[in-house]
Order: sequence, then C-alpha cells, then structure tokens
Amino acid sequence: MPKTSVSVTLVGVTKRFKNTKGRDDVIAVSGSDFTVAPGELVTLLGPSGCGKTTTLRMIAGFELPTTGKILIGTEDVSQLPPNARDKATVFQSYGLFPHMNVFDNVAYGLRLRKVPAAEIQTKVEATLKLVGLQDLADRSPGRLSGGQQQRVALARSLIVEPAVLLLDEPLSNLDALLREQMRVEIRRIQKTLGITAIYVTHDRVEAMSLSDRIIVMKDGVIQQIGTPSDIYENPATTFVAGFVGKVAFFPVTVTAVAGGWDCQLGGKNLRVTQGAAGVPAAGSAVLMSRPESLRLLSPGQGSVEGTVRMNVYLGHSVETFVDTPFGEVMVQVDDPASKAAFAEGSAVSIGFEPERVRLLP
Amino acid sequence: MFTKKKLLRFALVAALFLAVDAGIFSSLSGEFSKLMEASQTKEIRLFAQTAPVKAELLGDWMASVQTVLPGCEALYLSVDDAGKFVVGPGSGGLKALYQQNLSLPEFVKALDSVYYLEPYTTTGPYSVEVSGAAPLSGRVSFAPIADDTGAGVRGALVILSASTVAADFQGLLWGLALIALLLFLVIYSVVSFARDRVMGFAIVGLFAVVGVFVAYPMFESVRLTFWKGGQWTLETWATVLSPRYLVALWGSVQLGLWTATISTLLGFAFAFLVERTSVGGKKFISNLATLPVISPPFSLTLSIILLFGNNGLITKGLLGLHGFSIYGLNGLVIVQTISMFPIAFMTLSSVLKAIDSTVEDAALDLRATRWYTFRTITLPLAMPGILSAWLLVFTNSLADFANPLLLSGSYRVLSTEAYMAVTGQNDLGGGAALSILLLLPTLTAFMAQRYWVSRRSFVTVTGKPSMRLTELASPAVRVALTIFVGLCIVLIIALYATIVAGCFVRNWGIDYTFTLDNFGEALTRGWRAITDTVTLAALATPIAGVLAMIASLVVVRKVFVGKRLLEALIMTPFAIPGTLLGISYILAFNKPPLILVGTAAIIVINYIVRELPVGLENGSASLRQIDPAIEEAAQDLGADTPTVFRTIVLPLIRPAFISTMSYTFVRSMTAVSAIIFLISANWYHLTVQIYNFSELLRFGWASVLATALIVIVFVAFGLMRLLVPDEGHTDKSFAR
Repeated sequence: MPKTSVSVTLVGVTKRFKNTKGRDDVIAVSGSDFTVAPGELVTLLGPSGCGKTTTLRMIAGFELPTTGKILIGTEDVSQLPPNARDKATVFQSYGLFPHMNVFDNVAYGLRLRKVPAAEIQTKVEATLKLVGLQDLADRSPGRLSGGQQQRVALARSLIVEPAVLLLDEPLSNLDALLREQMRVEIRRIQKTLGITAIYVTHDRVEAMSLSDRIIVMKDGVIQQIGTPSDIYENPATTFVAGFVGKVAFFPVTVTAVAGGWDCQLGGKNLRVTQGAAGVPAAGSAVLMSRPESLRLLSPGQGSVEGTVRMNVYLGHSVETFVDTPFGEVMVQVDDPASKAAFAEGSAVSIGFEPERVRLLP
Repeated sequence: MFTKKKLLRFALVAALFLAVDAGIFSSLSGEFSKLMEASQTKEIRLFAQTAPVKAELLGDWMASVQTVLPGCEALYLSVDDAGKFVVGPGSGGLKALYQQNLSLPEFVKALDSVYYLEPYTTTGPYSVEVSGAAPLSGRVSFAPIADDTGAGVRGALVILSASTVAADFQGLLWGLALIALLLFLVIYSVVSFARDRVMGFAIVGLFAVVGVFVAYPMFESVRLTFWKGGQWTLETWATVLSPRYLVALWGSVQLGLWTATISTLLGFAFAFLVERTSVGGKKFISNLATLPVISPPFSLTLSIILLFGNNGLITKGLLGLHGFSIYGLNGLVIVQTISMFPIAFMTLSSVLKAIDSTVEDAALDLRATRWYTFRTITLPLAMPGILSAWLLVFTNSLADFANPLLLSGSYRVLSTEAYMAVTGQNDLGGGAALSILLLLPTLTAFMAQRYWVSRRSFVTVTGKPSMRLTELASPAVRVALTIFVGLCIVLIIALYATIVAGCFVRNWGIDYTFTLDNFGEALTRGWRAITDTVTLAALATPIAGVLAMIASLVVVRKVFVGKRLLEALIMTPFAIPGTLLGISYILAFNKPPLILVGTAAIIVINYIVRELPVGLENGSASLRQIDPAIEEAAQDLGADTPTVFRTIVLPLIRPAFISTMSYTFVRSMTAVSAIIFLISANWYHLTVQIYNFSELLRFGWASVLATALIVIVFVAFGLMRLLVPDEGHTDKSFAR
C-alpha cells in the first residue's frame, strides 16, 4: 500500500520543556541522533519518563524540537505542523472518534484528502479486511472490545498510506493474551506493507519480538542502538543489560591482556574476551552474565561459592536463587528434569561460560 | 518558531511598515493642517470684515469672536492717524504676547503686510506666560480690516488660534496610525511565528474581543470616577462615599443578607426533600423549583404587586388593608427569595447528592439517633455547599436590579441608585462609582468563597452517588417538610397564574371585568420591543455559542503566554454587576474610536460578553472530559485546525454548545440591568417595555408582555432541544 518506504532521520534533536513554576527546565530528549531505514521497524525502548514518547511526538509534529532536525525521507519536517507531515500515528489511547462508526473513523483521512466516495468504499473495506474487522463497519467504537478498537486505530492510520507509521505504546491497554496476538498482527501487517515504522514501548518482550532494531533510552539520552540480539547479548551499559533482560552482575578488578581481560573475582582469576567500550585497561569493572548462561556446580568447582536459598519451578526451567558474597544471584536451569537439582540450603558453586560473559564499565 | 532569519525578516518588514505608516500619517496630517489653516484664515478674514466702524461697538464685536472662532484669543488693533497700529480691546493674554513680540522681525513683517491689506499668519507658534492661567501658545494670525474705501486699512484683527479641533483630529489620526501599526505587527507576528496560524489568530482575536469589550470599558469607567471636568479629582468618590449613598450600600447589603439566608434555608428544605427523602413527585418539585431561574425579570415583581400592592388582590380585595405597603425591604426580600432560592436549591441538591449515604449509615449503626446523625454528619458535610450557596445568592441579590427598580419604594439599594444617577442626573461617573462600590461586597464574598469554603470542602466529586439511601427524616418531619414545600410550590404557581390572570383583567385592583383589550394594546405598543429583542437575542446566540466553544478549545488545549489573563478577562463579566457593565459600555463607546451607543451592535456585543463566561465554563468542562488524542488523531490524519474544530470538537461538545446557546438566548431575552442603559430609539428591549408599562400602572399590558416573554423563552428552550437532539456520546472517551 505505501508509495515507497522512506527513512526517518533525527539529527541532534533535543527537547527542553520550560518549567513555569520557577524550577529548572526539564530536558526530555537530549541530542538524539539516529536513522530508521526504509521499511524498518524500530522500537524506542525505555522506562517511563525516558523521552521515548516525546521523541515520537516530535516526529509526529505534536511537539517541536528545541534544537536539531527531523527528516522524513529527505524533507526537513522539524517545524511543520502535524497535518503537513507524511506519517500516521496510532495513539496509546487510540483516539477513536466516538461520534463516528468504524467505517467513518477509518474513512476520515480519505475524506480529508477528497477521495471519491466509491474509492473510499473499496479502500475502507480492504483495510478493514486487513485488520480483520470487515464485519464491524457499522459499529460505534464504544461498542468494540479493546483489541478491536486497537485494530480500528491501526486501520485508520494505514489507510492514508503514510510514509511512516508511528505507534505510541499501542498495546499497553490490552490484556496479556491479546497483546501477544496484536504484536504478531502488527508485525505481519508492517512486513506485508513494507512500511517504515517507529514503535514506542516500555515492554522489553514487545520490543524484542517486534523490532528490526531497538533504541534503548534513559533520561532522554540514547543508551544503545542495535538489533534485539545485539542489545540482549552485547549490552553497552549495565542499564541496558538490566533493562532488556534478567542479569547477574559481579564487581571485578580487570587488567587488559591480549585478546581480552584478566578479571579478579573474589580471589579467583577469570579470562574474559568480550567487553563493552569504556572498560578500563586496569581498574574496576562489572562482569555480567545472563541467568541462562550460568551453571550450577558442586561446591568448589565454579567461580563463585554460595548457598541455594530458593528454587522456583517454572516447568521449562527452574530459577535457583543463590546467596553469594556478591549478593543474591539467580541462575536459570533449563530443562530441569535432565539435570541434578540442588536442594534449598545446600552449598553450591556458580560457574561461567567464558564466551557468554561480558565486561561492562 | 523563532529563528534568527525569521526575526531579522520580521524586524525588516516591521521597520518598512513603520516607515510607510509614518509617511502616510505625516502627509495626511500635513494636508489636513494646510486645509484647516486655509479655512481658518478664510474665516478670520471674513470675520474681520464684519468689524463695526463705531468704536463703542468694538467691545461687543470682540466678545462675539468666541462664537465664530471657538477657542481663539482675539485682539483688535486700530490704526492711528500716523498709520501706526495701536492696541485696542481684546484678550489680555494676547495683548501681552503682542507687546512682547512687537519688535520681532516677523511681527514687523506681519504688520507691514496687514497695512497693505494682506493677511498674515506666523510660521511658528508664539507663547506668553499668563499669570493665574495656562500659558497661551499658538500661531498668530493678522487680518486687515479695510476702511470704507476698501483701499486703506483702519484696523487689524489679531487671532491666536489654539486650534483644539485640529489637535483633536491630529490625535485621532495619530491613534489610527498607531492602531494600524499595532494591527499589522500582531497579524504579521502571528503569520511569521505561529506554527498554527489559525489558532494564533483565534487567540489574538479572543484577546481583541475581551480587550476591547471588557477591559477597555472597565478601564474607562474606573478612570471616569477619578476624572471630572478635565482633571483628576476624588470628587466623585467623595460624593459616593457620603452618608446619602452609604445608606444605599447598607440597604443592598441588608437585602443581600436577608435574601441569602432565607433562600439558603428554603433551598436546603427543597433539596433535602428531593435528594434525601422518599417523597414522590421529585421531578415535578425540582422542575417547579428551578422555574424562577429562567423566568423573565419583573414578572414575579409584577405578580407580587398585583397580589399585595396598593391595589392588590389580596391586600385590598380580600383583606381590605389600606395602610399596608409591599414596597420596601419586606417585599424585596420576598421577591428576591422566590427568584433566587432556585440557585441555592440547585447548588445544595448536587451537594446532598454527592454525600455518600453510607457515612450516615455508619453513624446510625453506631446507635446515633437520626437527628444526631443529621446534626453531626450530614450538616457538617454539606456545610461548604451551604456556604457557597449562600454566597451565590448574596452576590446575585446585590447585583439584582430589576426587582428593586419596581419594588424598592423609598428603600434604597445601590444598583438602582446607580441607574438613577445615570438617567436622572446624567452623572455617568457617579453611576460608575456606585456600581464599583457594589463590587466591594461581591468581591469580598468571592474571596471568602475562594479562600475559605474551598479549603473546607469535604465532599469529593469522585464518588458515585450511592444507589440507595437511608432516610434521615422521621415520618413526621417528612410530612411537615412536604407540606411546607408544597405551600411554597402553590405560591410559585399562584404567582405565575396571577401574571396570566392579569392579562385578562380590565383594571387590576379597581375593575376586575374580563377583557381581551390588553392583548391588542400591549402587542401594538410592545410589538417593536418584542421583535427587536428576539432579533438581537437570535443574533447574539450563535455568535456567543461558537465564540465560547472556540475559547474553550483555546483555554483547555493550548499553552500560550497570557492564558490566565485571557481566562480572567473572559470571566470578568460574570463577577461584575450588570449595571456596571452597562454604564461602562456607554462610557467607552460613545466616543471615538468606537462609537456604538444607539446601535444594535452594542446590545448584541453586551449579550455575548455577558454570556461568554458561562459558555466557557460549559465548553471547557465538556472538553476536559475528552481525550486529547482524539483531536490529535484527526490532526495526524491531515486535518487542519478549523477542520478538527468542525468535524471533531464541535460534535463532541455539542451538548455544551447547545446549552450555551439556549442559555444565551434566554438570558439575552430576559436581560435588564446592563441593557437598560444601552437601548435607544432604534433598538428597544422587551423587559424595559414591561418596566415602562408597570411604571405607568398599566399592569394589564405589562402582564401580557411578561406572559409573551415567558412563552417565547419556553418555546425557544423546547425548539433548541428539538432541533438539535442531545445524543449524549460525550462520555465515551476511551481506555484510560
């Protein structure tokens, strides 16, 4: 449906909100630089208040950047009003027009563009079919379920064939099951249409499962940009590591050697080959590992000694919480039936897989 | 937004416009001065030719200069035998000036010129100090007075023209040039700096409307209370604060205290019966109790006079009383209570509705008696509401104008005193000062409400009204309350019935024969007033409705500098008494640059400005319920601001829009206090006509017009509801 996919580029975009009550200004977004390639789905991920929605609203035109430029394709849209930008937004609260039925809601954008009635009819029908709502055209939005409302909002945005689709936490008002369904649905439609999309969420699972690339933000600053696996496996900071998944951190002293670092961890030495930028040649750093990469071993055989405090059985895995000198560490034991279990209270040793641990500054 | 390039361009264009503006102004002003000068020179010359030959007549002739050339100083010079000019009769100041400058080359030249019968006017101004008065200054004109032969000179007329007319015109020209510059700057800055131009213009437009039609008249009326005979003075205030008017102030306050207290008690009784007991016919009770709010002014007063007046049906007809008088404080309290207790009733029923019945249940459960529960739980919870109801009625009573006008007798209140000052003594400044004085107790009440009542508010608005309620009134109390309320309702119905009855009676109080003559008479004499009023109200209604909704959108959804000021200015007419608004309008709009007095526009604008506050409240309350994402979605799909307003906002806040319009229509039809100052021979008002008939003791005619007004108001209400049915989809804001 879209004409041709275009890219979206942000150059040094900063948003400063004036604080009227005499307090300091709030810097919602600080020096954002990134490019979304044509046809790509990129997620802005971060905790609430990190500036992700502000970034999206600046691209949509509801906020103006204090400094910096926003380009859709090659056009500088930084100062254009929302109705003059070639994009369409799906809002967190949908923003359906309550005084119009589903058909009129979806047709709204086409009517503004003075499309002939017959063409509107066919296009709306086709779009409603795409989102699976062909039978509900006459319903009032108030009489739709949350998931259906979501689809109407999506259809209403897609029908105007925007160059870019912006989605602002579109699934946050749905229950868990529906959310999973719609996630797949959105991804399917986006891929089918090949439309450039920017998606805002604070849900890491949503971000992981949907995105071509993820932009992790914190306090208005971009922390890392990368593919989901890149972000998960090779986080740049402890914040990113912790935000996109469960993780265990150990404080270590490092010395750089050829091809990696020697780490001092509680008296034991460990050779680590992977490390993020900013890890010092000598000094203190943080060693990270995902719970599924840790191994439970008999006492003395691993790198960190501890006592099992609690086992949480989840079926496909067991989460074992171990008290160690570095605090509580969670170890995920996959396929537990095939492995020896450590009872609560027993001594245990945690072992690393050298190629699966990573040093962070 | 602001960029260096845009600012630079703006500065350049602004400078260019300033240059053009100044150029046009100075050339216009130059042309005008030349014209003025030419005509004045001609006038002086012509006048000089009328100089009498006899010396004893010269004095009178000089005195007549003022009528021919107002504002000028004149001096006569005669020519002595030696051909020299000698000072004759005329202005002392000019004499001094002449003598002081006599030896100057220009004066010598002037006298030479005059000697050869050529008039002369100095190129620059000359001035002289005059002891005990303002210094004289201006250009000096010399006009020759020819002798009988027409070839020689026998005297000269020296004129110093202060040219106030010219100065006035120059001032106006200046003003226009300034306004043009300002207008251009505002429009051009919106065009260059506002991202959403339509919104920019809407905001600027709203500021212009309230600036010109609220702030400016208010400023003018305050200014005039300190300004008399061309200078600053406290004279007006000294008069207003004299015992004569302080009596009226006390009268207003006393009336307010009585009316507010009785109305609140009555309102509470009604509200308690409707909201807190299981009595039947609640809908009927509340409908009748709110009836007096939309009923026209004078109508209740009229029926009170018909029933209890000097020739009243009850006082004279049934009881045969003679010394009794309804005019004065007692009558006013009765009428005001009946017309204003609905305000207390409406406030209090929403308060009582909001009190969760479970707290009373809890008290009863702890073995409190019903009376004890009422005293310790219900009453304290309702207290803030009771106080705000009291204050609301109090301020309304103070601002009330229509009832005291007919019924005050020798009792004096401020609102009618202000009217008398304006219409009786033509003392606009005094009227304005009196109205401002009236603002004092009102403002005190407002402040009290804000700082005290709101702080003590217990009833949270979030709670849903409880589904069931425990009756606190014992059966005996309930019966007593029902009978009491029933009697009040009978009284209200009787009052309205009296007005209708009044239409059919030949001469109320004297001759009760049935007649239909009143209709013919009243409708012939009052037809103009009816059509005028309906036309004006119908004109104001849609404008006020749309303007209020635009204002709501701007206030609720936009962030801009001066938003609080805009809101305050829009809300101002709600707080100030109608008399003050009316007086300030005649003060502000009977002179340039805006002369509106006597036109339909001034009345329509007054309607709009007065009803805008309620419209803004309606609209913004309604708009706050709507998810902003709905408008953003429309904008996102490519709708510009006017389209969003037309296709999304207006349909969604339609109930508020409709109620604002019907409210405006009804209130405009029934307006008195401000309108009575603004009507003219061209545009009359129905309520004022009713008043005039009543003053003439033509109660039959007045009754017919009052009934007609009631019918029009009800028809308008019904029609509005019928034409635009309320679909009630506003509450559907999604997924929060």
